[in-house]
Amino acid sequence: MRDDLKVGVFLCECGGNISDIIDLDKVREELDVDFIGQFENLCSLNGRKIIRDAIFDHDLDRVVVAACSPISHEKTFQDYVKPLNPYLMDMANIREQCSWVHDDHDLATQKALTLINASIEKVKQSDAVDPIYCQTPEEVAVIGGGIAGMNAALSLAKQGTKVTLIEQSPSIGGHMAKIGKVFSPVKIAEECGMCLLNPILNELVWNENIEVLTNTKVIEAERRAGTYNLILEKSPRYVDTERCIACGKCAEACEVEVPNDWNDNLSMRKAIYRPFGQSYPEAYVIDMDNCTKCSNCVKACTMKAIKLRGRAERIPLQVGSVVVATGHKLFDMEKRPEYGYTRYDDVITQSELGRITGVNGPTKGKLLKSNGEVPKRVVMIQCVGSRDEKPDGHRYCSKICCTVALKNANIIKHKYPDTDVLICYTDVRTPGMFEKYYKHTQENEVRFLRGRPGEVVRKGDNFIVRTEDTLKGEFVEIEADMVVLSTAMEPSEGTKEIAEILNVGITEDGFIKESHPKIKPVATDVQGIFVCGTAHEPKDITDSIMQATAAAAKVNEYNYGGVEIEPFIAEIDTEKCIVCGDCINRCKYKSMSIQNDQIYIDPMSCTGCGKCLVGCKQRAITVNGNIDEKILSTIKGVLSKKRPGQRMILVFLDNIGYTAADNIGVNRLSYPESIHIIKVISVNRVTPKHIHYALDNGADGVFIGEFPGDLMYDEVERKIQRVKDRIVEMGQNPDRITFSKVYIPYFSGLARKFTEFDAEISQLDGK
Amino acid sequence: MTTQKISDSPIDFAEKIIRDVKNSKEDGVLKCVQCGMCTSTCPAARHSDYNPRDIIERVLEGDETIIEDDCIWNCFYCYTCHSVCPVGNSVCEVNQILKQIAIESGIGYDKLYEYMGFADSYFTAAIGAIPERFFADIDRDVPGWWDFRQNLDEIRKELDLDPPLMPSREVIDEVSTILTITGFKDKIERIRQSEEDENEERTD
Repeated sequence: MRDDLKVGVFLCECGGNISDIIDLDKVREELDVDFIGQFENLCSLNGRKIIRDAIFDHDLDRVVVAACSPISHEKTFQDYVKPLNPYLMDMANIREQCSWVHDDHDLATQKALTLINASIEKVKQSDAVDPIYCQTPEEVAVIGGGIAGMNAALSLAKQGTKVTLIEQSPSIGGHMAKIGKVFSPVKIAEECGMCLLNPILNELVWNENIEVLTNTKVIEAERRAGTYNLILEKSPRYVDTERCIACGKCAEACEVEVPNDWNDNLSMRKAIYRPFGQSYPEAYVIDMDNCTKCSNCVKACTMKAIKLRGRAERIPLQVGSVVVATGHKLFDMEKRPEYGYTRYDDVITQSELGRITGVNGPTKGKLLKSNGEVPKRVVMIQCVGSRDEKPDGHRYCSKICCTVALKNANIIKHKYPDTDVLICYTDVRTPGMFEKYYKHTQENEVRFLRGRPGEVVRKGDNFIVRTEDTLKGEFVEIEADMVVLSTAMEPSEGTKEIAEILNVGITEDGFIKESHPKIKPVATDVQGIFVCGTAHEPKDITDSIMQATAAAAKVNEYNYGGVEIEPFIAEIDTEKCIVCGDCINRCKYKSMSIQNDQIYIDPMSCTGCGKCLVGCKQRAITVNGNIDEKILSTIKGVLSKKRPGQRMILVFLDNIGYTAADNIGVNRLSYPESIHIIKVISVNRVTPKHIHYALDNGADGVFIGEFPGDLMYDEVERKIQRVKDRIVEMGQNPDRITFSKVYIPYFSGLARKFTEFDAEISQLDGK
Repeated sequence: MTTQKISDSPIDFAEKIIRDVKNSKEDGVLKCVQCGMCTSTCPAARHSDYNPRDIIERVLEGDETIIEDDCIWNCFYCYTCHSVCPVGNSVCEVNQILKQIAIESGIGYDKLYEYMGFADSYFTAAIGAIPERFFADIDRDVPGWWDFRQNLDEIRKELDLDPPLMPSREVIDEVSTILTITGFKDKIERIRQSEEDENEERTD
């Protein structure tokens, strides 16, 4: 029946780009179809009229447009074939993959004819399908209430989006609240961090589009057609935030004293406490791990705000997108005992130094050693846990530690000009404007020594820092009475947990991985999940805010644009399906789940690779669009034009490989005419059956290319090896099949591989 | 001033070291950023002019004269540099490779000569033992060491420990045979001979 379909072919001259090489008259002569049209620029509006009129006048059922690459103009011609369904049109790429890569007129013309014939056979197998439109809910969850999460939430809210800001600790504010002073490279000065943070915090608290949930964590997440169903767990605060007026009488009455974690444990707090002066919500909280339930606070509270009993509450939250801003933590100094952090009180971290020099810190801003004296010499050690391949170390540079050390050194020098500050560094990394601040620091008489200390030991009242002054080539022992370690930034526990719960990719270092490090820096592997701040990688406040607002913009793009999806995805026949769950485990893209006792396939994550098909014993899964038959017919279409003695190599590429192949033409490189490229939705859809058929019916070689970044890469590579093993058993030469990595930028390499493979095949035939 | 000619290829020396069978750190040498952490923990650097960072600097510069430098013989393989290096390099291994190159070039026999007692002990006891010629130095550096060594049997008895387990005669014979067949014996004799010849020349 499909053979009775009326097919029209439209040939584009492309202003000579095609017709100068390919003899279109000859092509027309050889084609046997119901209609042939030709025009100098089919993509123009005149072209549309030619195509549309022919469809009406000749009752065409299918259309082949022989022109440029579908990458350039598929959308255009899908529109031009209306009222035909857009998927009943196929493009034969006779420009990028023919006239631009070959210069022999006869051979190019023959190849064009072959490609057009393949498209005709393919399009006969096409069915009318509709693209899938997905509109996602507009509500957004921002996870993490530090400077990045706060800015992302505020930006979204100001653009009219409803946001839930989820913070696991009792207050929003994050690391920036405790940092003390901040500096900007342009203003050569340090300023109060809290004074910059507070207006943002206030604005956020008063914004009606934002709901802040503190003491709250995401514990479950499930995704369905662009909607995230989150389950949150809100731990009890034991203090009613509506009633509490933060008068502090409860804390006065409390007799339990514990180290104050907000002050890096350098001071004490009560079991009922307020994290810091400007914390939000403006209410006290009980640390139940340390509370003795003596009820003194309950009696002291005039507002009757305290209840010593409480239970964690589970809250369901439905959102369309998620911004991950779960931040970082600092390197655990127990892993580097050589620096004596756990043994000596006056070996501290930069974070602790920030608390000590902060006016709201344990010493009210005075730089004091544990014995209450001002240090005479502070030695700072850089790269502790960063740029370190030793066990538990991080290979990356934590990016902010150089400038943090400069800032804290300057703060010390401003207040205590007599205290000697020496920074032991490997490289001082102050790119861009930060270099000015480095020079400013040198002017402040902060000293620098190029060398990475090996150990800190106690000698009498002082420490000895052992290092080499590498510029002098001399081993030195430096006496110091305070040592400050610039510890690495690493992903917080919350970052690791949320990555697992949301199933987003992480880097080898455990940070949330962006979907492309160069051009998609805030999207993640999973559609609808975005990342910002130090959950993504080490960065400073400015970069965190920029990425946060970028994430907000991307969320809105996603909210307003909706998502159009090619319909070639898996579908379940619920009559046959026994919900065994095999497909769920097979799917590399995690697009399958069980919903209401049925297998549900998320159209936004399914790529149509067909891996699920193979394992389904019930044969209950199909992939829309007749893919198998289309591939087979394309192969037949190519091979049926083979002439005696002609070498024919079939190349299977998905979108990425096909783009690389187009680039060969765009850059006017060349490869042999034997190469015939077949575009497939996923390389995994090329089955052993297809390959065997091709080799049995005249193909001299089969070349399969796959982008190594594709989740199916390893799978496809193994499959091709199995096919090779199998064809040996069938008495054919496995060298006729090759599997190769393809990369979009590396088109010249692909051209070379085509040429080499053609030569190898020609040698096989020569023997 | 030195001139780097276009035909110079300083990296060749480092590559030769990387390819050596003794190198377990792949390209570690090339990743050195001269941070000096090795030197800051190196006992030899604290007590002599040996500088592990400088060893790598010279290797990366392609300075092959380093094999003639006496300082390379000051490393005693404590492997501290190996374990602290932030880029996963091992100066200790590089040093061993340099010494091997030196020996193959006929350099350093005099340094090895001092350890001949160590080599001999494999033939007499099938284990490496500290040559007697170092006893006085050790006793000076580690107070009480000589007493400890003299009374080791009694100390062990007091601690309820068995006497140290020493290889049997059969084992010693077997080890000696292996060392003879594999050319170790010839090698130490060659070293001894060359040093004794030189001593004669000196006395002449």
